[in-house]
Amino acid sequence: MRAAIRAEALKLTHSLVGLIATLAIVAGVIALLGGITAGVAAGNPELVAKVGPAAVPTWGGLLAGAAQITAVAAILGFGIVLAWMFGREFAEGTITGLFALPVSRTRIALAKLIVYLLWAVVVGIALTAGVLVLGVALGYGLPGIDTRAALGRLFALVLLSAGLAVPVAWVATLSRSLLAAVGATVALVVLAQVGALAGAGGWLPLAAPALWAMSNGAGATSMQLALAVLVPGVFTVAVCASWSRLQLDR
Amino acid sequence: MSDVLEFENVSRTFRGGAGVTDATFVIEPGEIVALIGLNGAGKTTLMRLALGMLRPQAGTVNVLGVPADEASSAQWARVGALIEVPLAYPELTVRKNLHLAALLHGATSERAQNAIGTWQLAPVADRRFRHLSLGNRQRVGLASAMQHDPSLILLDEPSNALDPASVIRLREELIRRARAGASILVSSHHLDEVARIADRVLLMNAGRLIGSLDTSGQDLERAFFDRIREDDERRQGTQATR
Repeated sequence: MRAAIRAEALKLTHSLVGLIATLAIVAGVIALLGGITAGVAAGNPELVAKVGPAAVPTWGGLLAGAAQITAVAAILGFGIVLAWMFGREFAEGTITGLFALPVSRTRIALAKLIVYLLWAVVVGIALTAGVLVLGVALGYGLPGIDTRAALGRLFALVLLSAGLAVPVAWVATLSRSLLAAVGATVALVVLAQVGALAGAGGWLPLAAPALWAMSNGAGATSMQLALAVLVPGVFTVAVCASWSRLQLDR
Repeated sequence: MSDVLEFENVSRTFRGGAGVTDATFVIEPGEIVALIGLNGAGKTTLMRLALGMLRPQAGTVNVLGVPADEASSAQWARVGALIEVPLAYPELTVRKNLHLAALLHGATSERAQNAIGTWQLAPVADRRFRHLSLGNRQRVGLASAMQHDPSLILLDEPSNALDPASVIRLREELIRRARAGASILVSSHHLDEVARIADRVLLMNAGRLIGSLDTSGQDLERAFFDRIREDDERRQGTQATR
């Protein structure tokens, strides 16, 4: 197992995809937040109306905005990396080299997901730290207890979003296609947005973490969050089972 | 000694009829067996069956004495293969790719350093795989498939894109490994090359093994095409009588 994890870590840490996705999620969210704050400070009424609670120039406003943007950016960024991690083996043909090894394909698939999770933790820490630095730089002062809790929810949102993208790995495996997996990522984002707009709210696992993080923890019950945690669990089993039974028959 | 690779009445066909039908053969320790046939004859499918990439619809494939789907990690650690695409990633250097392959084959990373020497990859060892020529990519693939000293080696068209010096290197390497006891199955289009190294040459046509080719004759190409034509005529005759 250790060999498979080391191999997958080697690939992700040397890839442009991993680097660009990290920058897109972390720097992208921070840049957007900075832009929104500057626009609101300049008195742009349209922007103030659009961003709602994020228009308030306090820690609360900043973190509401951060949760709102992260909910979309994280699933998109994580999904694309996962699509690449799994889909590339089929697109580049390297899947043939992952047979007839002392490391089983189940372990290789699991190693990919473990490395992905570790990377998501790093992205979560970087994003949370970035928002903290931005808030301090904007003059909101040192974070109090409520702000620290909201920062914790932001970190949890990043990890939960990473989990919600795990079905993408399954789509990549079943379709043997990187592009189909990218398509699945976009579909997840759209589903989360449409579900939230349609009023499915916290009972839609794709939307629950975002609603929870954006509402100071009131927007989703622990049962609803548990459903969101179930998604990566179920799909990790599905991915490992698919890799275990994999045949190169098409 | 027991057979290292054994096919017993193995069939695996795809929609449209292509694939492998009723294949039976064995490869013993220290033997180099070549598999030759036209494009689409089923050579790659047969190799995929040997490596567990496909499961047979009928018959059994035994690898190192056990059915392929029951082979343990220790048994797979004794297998090396290059089928179609090398186990190498474009973002990694040659050295890192060989290190990765050694890890996945349960070997130490010192093997990677030895393989760089064996396959004369030192000038490109720190170059990313994506920047290599086709020939160098193939050499990395061969190094990756054999650096862990496997007992069973399967190579699909291993001399593809290789320059003459590398073809000689490959030939010497395969002969050396066979003398050390490895069993080797190689598919190839190059009849002369195959005749130089193979102990036996298996002929494949339309998904079936149709016998061996005597490589001691003068005109190998003619002998090859005669056998293929005879098989085609026999099959057409059989179909016509149905």
